[in-house]
Amino acid sequence: MLKMTGITKTYPTPQGPLKVLDDVDLTLGAGESLALMGESGSGKSTLLHLAAGLDLPDEGSVYLGGQRLSALSETRRAALRREQLGLVFQQFHLVPSLSVQDNLALQARLAGREDDAWTRHLLTRLGLAEFATRYPEQLSGGQQQRLAIGRALAPKPRFLLADEPTGNLDEAAAAQVLELLQALIDESGCALLMVTHSAQVATPMQRHLVLTRGKLMDKAL
Amino acid sequence: MSAAASSVLRTTLATLLSHYRRHPGQLLMLLLGLWVASALWSGVQAINASARESYDRAEALFSADLDRIERRDGAPLTLEDYLALRRAGLPISPIIEGELSLSSGKSDGESLTLIGIEPLSLPGSAPLAQQDGDADSLRNWLVPPYRVRVAPDTLEQARTLDDLPPLEIASDLPPATLVTDIAVAARLLNMDRGITRLVIAPKYDVELPSAFIRTSTEALASPGQLADSFHLNLTAMGLLALVVGLFIVHAALGLALEQRLGLLRTLRALGVPARTLILALGLELLLMGLIGALLGIVSGVILAQLLLPDVAATLDSLYDTTVSGTLNLPWYYWLGGVAITLGGLFSAGASMLWRASRINVLGLGQAQVWRARLRGQLRLQLLFGGILLAGAVFLWWYLASAGGQQDLALGFTLVALLLLGAALCLPPLLAGLLGLLARYLPRRAALLQWSVADLQLQLPQLSLAMMALLLALSANLGVGSMVGGFRLTFLDWLDQRLLADLYVRPAAEQYDDLEAWLNERSEVATLLPARSTEAELIKDGSNAGSVALFGIAPKPILRNSWPLLDTKDSHEAAWQALTTGSAFINEQLARRQGLEPGDSVQLQGPSGMTTLSVAAIYPDYGNPRGEIVLPVSRLAREFQAPPGTLGVVLAPTKDRQQTLTRLQEALNKRFRLTGENASGASLIDQQALKQVATEVFERTFAITRALNALTLGVAGLALLTTLLAQAGARRAQLAPLWAIGVSRSRLVMLQIGQLVMACLGTALLAIPLGLLLTGTLVAVINVAAFGWRLPLHIFPGQLAMTVALAVVVAVLAALIPAWRLRRVPPRQLLQEFAAA
Repeated sequence: MLKMTGITKTYPTPQGPLKVLDDVDLTLGAGESLALMGESGSGKSTLLHLAAGLDLPDEGSVYLGGQRLSALSETRRAALRREQLGLVFQQFHLVPSLSVQDNLALQARLAGREDDAWTRHLLTRLGLAEFATRYPEQLSGGQQQRLAIGRALAPKPRFLLADEPTGNLDEAAAAQVLELLQALIDESGCALLMVTHSAQVATPMQRHLVLTRGKLMDKAL
Repeated sequence: MSAAASSVLRTTLATLLSHYRRHPGQLLMLLLGLWVASALWSGVQAINASARESYDRAEALFSADLDRIERRDGAPLTLEDYLALRRAGLPISPIIEGELSLSSGKSDGESLTLIGIEPLSLPGSAPLAQQDGDADSLRNWLVPPYRVRVAPDTLEQARTLDDLPPLEIASDLPPATLVTDIAVAARLLNMDRGITRLVIAPKYDVELPSAFIRTSTEALASPGQLADSFHLNLTAMGLLALVVGLFIVHAALGLALEQRLGLLRTLRALGVPARTLILALGLELLLMGLIGALLGIVSGVILAQLLLPDVAATLDSLYDTTVSGTLNLPWYYWLGGVAITLGGLFSAGASMLWRASRINVLGLGQAQVWRARLRGQLRLQLLFGGILLAGAVFLWWYLASAGGQQDLALGFTLVALLLLGAALCLPPLLAGLLGLLARYLPRRAALLQWSVADLQLQLPQLSLAMMALLLALSANLGVGSMVGGFRLTFLDWLDQRLLADLYVRPAAEQYDDLEAWLNERSEVATLLPARSTEAELIKDGSNAGSVALFGIAPKPILRNSWPLLDTKDSHEAAWQALTTGSAFINEQLARRQGLEPGDSVQLQGPSGMTTLSVAAIYPDYGNPRGEIVLPVSRLAREFQAPPGTLGVVLAPTKDRQQTLTRLQEALNKRFRLTGENASGASLIDQQALKQVATEVFERTFAITRALNALTLGVAGLALLTTLLAQAGARRAQLAPLWAIGVSRSRLVMLQIGQLVMACLGTALLAIPLGLLLTGTLVAVINVAAFGWRLPLHIFPGQLAMTVALAVVVAVLAALIPAWRLRRVPPRQLLQEFAAA
């Protein structure tokens, strides 16, 4: 389970401290899917970064698999990230110097969990098998995002955290990516926390939360 | 390290290295920088290490624990001298020494030094006397067919000599030297009754007959000491090349880091700990360093092998030291080469590691953030550069106020502070210059304005290459001006000192007859006799070492020409004082002993203690020793100096050469000075002497010039590789211009123009920096290394050459990227435009 309790995060700005998250509680159970919505600057990405252990809260705690992240060293948090989490970003963040297949296997290799059969299956399911030896710059935007999703799922993580995964794609490509993401989540059984500002993207998710001025509330779609 | 952690490290390292697969230009630039830096440094060090090894062998052979005994009148020692001294109970041993010409094969024109020793009387501690210790070895040495000992690197040459006894390897002997029994040496050198020198162990404090003089082992300058300045010169140039090469490395690493910021962030987000990332970057550096060091050391050794024969010839003609023509590299040379390359690489890469360790994983990949940080760095650079330059000013002031003998290490610190301070200040100064230019450019010149603004944006990437260029240009100007100034001064000085048309060195018994004969010749206007000897300098009641005494005849022609640096009163008064009991001292002695005109020096000579007042200080370029000038008659009388040379000044004549030839022939006919005459007499034409001196001078600086040119080439390479490494990014910036109607040929011209502009700005700073460097070299380094100061000469041609070199380097470096841009298909520019 991913559990966040009493999370508060403040950033210094030229105009004074800005409280981005204010006493936020959130849980994500095994196999669950959750859409985190909100306007630009509402703190969605900050909450996702805190959930991934990329940053630490000023107050409150994040528990991943029962471990309190702020009590762990940076090295241990990194280990938890590569072994239990998959991350998908709006900007893809693929490694331009690695081929498609090496990009896909990267996190699995880092986690020491490379599974050739699973990698091949992902390549086929993502429609990238014929591009395996190409480089990211030779792919379309939709293909690049599918590759990023594949990379996140390759080590078979318990949680997938996606930050606006379709934000950089056109409508058709976005629909294709979402459909694939949902299908792969169902196949792998991992939980999904997706940050989005689009109601359409959020619709297939089991739960929906919205962040407004740093406060989290349930939202009915 | 656990299996999981090593798996993370392996994958991270492989991912980091994959960057170079996609950007081979950057890898090439990195390895090129390392290779060049390591090759030039290793080459110079290989030469130095090899020469040092030769000196060590020579020092062990000649100067260890053996005092020399020679005749006070300068005449050669004879068998009778030896017997007389032995009969007087002195524990001396004879040594004969001569040259054996190598006349066959490739060694034609070279010679080997043959030393003959008498092993039974030679002091036991001397390396020359070291035998294997057993009776067989000694018997083999003493009875036919005898033995000749030779160093391994001279074995091949020795085998070409006929008539030699069986050869025996002795690795402790210096190169080009053979040692054998005195009887064999006497036969091979045709020296039946002559002895080159007598030696005695320093522990025997015996009284010598007055006809002999003893020189202690400490007073004999070792070959290594004499050539130290030369090697220092090489080391400084090697160090400069190393620094310039490391600038390339730094530029390449900075570029590789900037382009991999996104990758680093991704790796961190995927669960690579910061420590692992830094470790992987460190391993990457280590890998590059080892490859670079290997390439560099191998190339350095090849370079040294190519340069060593020239260096050996220079050292032989300059310092009379024999350096082996083959490389003899000790084990620490190899380790040192790897260590200096890795040390240099890690110092260049330290900032990359530090910056990578401070990366905020959430703010990574944003070029703007990174660039903003670079702007902050420019300000920091200016501050550090300013501090270093202020340090240089302080050190200059300190050295100037200290006076007297300069400290060489402080001199080089001053040079380093100057060069590094100026290099750090260059990027902010260029940015300021471009800012000014942008402000005053006419608004209509839109393309020119864009050029300037774009060049400002490129500065962070170009700055390191520009810093390398600045160092190379200013070193080129500084060393060029110093060598040019030295040449002028040296040639002037030769003209002033070598006044006579002919120099005759007769045998002692011929001297008076020859002088009288010359005085009667109508074609001879003046005779300038000179003598030389040694005396002990006494300072504060104790012996301050031996000093050379030189006797001259202060005739008007000499008075009018002999240069004086400092006198107590007038020039004329100084000469007057010389004839009435004062002395002149050379600049080296004045600086070492802190003497000024008006001070006194005390000398211990054969007639007891003499106190001399210093009337003037004269320049004495090229002489490593302190020297005192006295009237020749006084030197003969009070210091028993043997007859030396007679300078012959010809009377004005229409055909000097013909008169000179006739006189030489007459001299030879009358006194048999050359040819079969074995009296040791010689006849030297002044012009031949000047030519030899000039040749030695040119050869001395040939290697300096070669290294200088190489350093400039390296800086050009730094610029080229920087441009090539960022060519892709540049196309994306140029594509929008192309899209709005600027032709590709215009873009090419703009690119070349931008680089010329940046290089000209660099040359503007290189000129004052180069002149400061010249000033430091002639006023601080020269004084510390050689004991004399050169006047500062500024050559307008050198300044113009600096500017021209900057433009040439800029155009050459810009040519390949510009050519590639010219050939980019419009379709690719369209893609770049879409992506921009």
